[in-house]
Amino acid sequence: MINCMCVIQAGQAPDQQRAALATALNRFAGEFLHEQLTVNWVPVPAGNGFTAGEPSTSSVVSLTAPEALSQTRRETLLRELVSLWTRQTGCSVDEIVAVIADPVQH
Amino acid sequence: MPLYICNARQGAIDGEAKQRIARDITDIHCAVTGAPPIFVHAVFFEEAAQFPLGDKTLAVRGTIRQGRSAAQKDEIASKITASLIRHGGIDSAQAAAEIRETPASWVLEGGEIMPEPGEEDAWFAAQQARREASEV
Repeated sequence: MINCMCVIQAGQAPDQQRAALATALNRFAGEFLHEQLTVNWVPVPAGNGFTAGEPSTSSVVSLTAPEALSQTRRETLLRELVSLWTRQTGCSVDEIVAVIADPVQH
Repeated sequence: MPLYICNARQGAIDGEAKQRIARDITDIHCAVTGAPPIFVHAVFFEEAAQFPLGDKTLAVRGTIRQGRSAAQKDEIASKITASLIRHGGIDSAQAAAEIRETPASWVLEGGEIMPEPGEEDAWFAAQQARREASEV
């Protein structure tokens, strides 16, 4: 199971949109990473998000891949992730930060 | 990226203090690393379970691009802690800041894979070229 943390600014993804986003993220995880995914929503209250020291409209979506990825593969997945996010939310590519990490090696 | 997450006890800091701390974080990060301000994100929560406070009143967890020296990371953490103390009106035992690292290649921002530290100029030039091409 992949845990996907979504830090979203207040008002950017209302409940109805979050449901659609969660569905799209699950489809992404199943199709590209062959795993199920749970979304951990971390809403930033109004006036509590800043970029360059000024009020921010940026969201962060972060997940860990089930296995180490080549950079080519990672970039493909990151672009797919950003594409689904901008499609679902209507935000621009400048308003989304996407992270796909490799699993921690023990 | 970087992303600085500040967690606070309920009511510990007001909106004005958050803005001041966010500006300090931006200034500190940029002064120490040379990174552009537009990369620096800071978000504030109160008693968010995902970012345990332990015995602190204010705590910041910064995730920055991998490649900075230990001295740079220590300087960022100590200066941010000082900002928390100053703007939060708390003593040093109540504030903490820690820095974690993520490879730049794991992050897509502004539609592009983040540049390695020190390669920001080429990254902005490539991004500008992409924007101009898309406007044609």
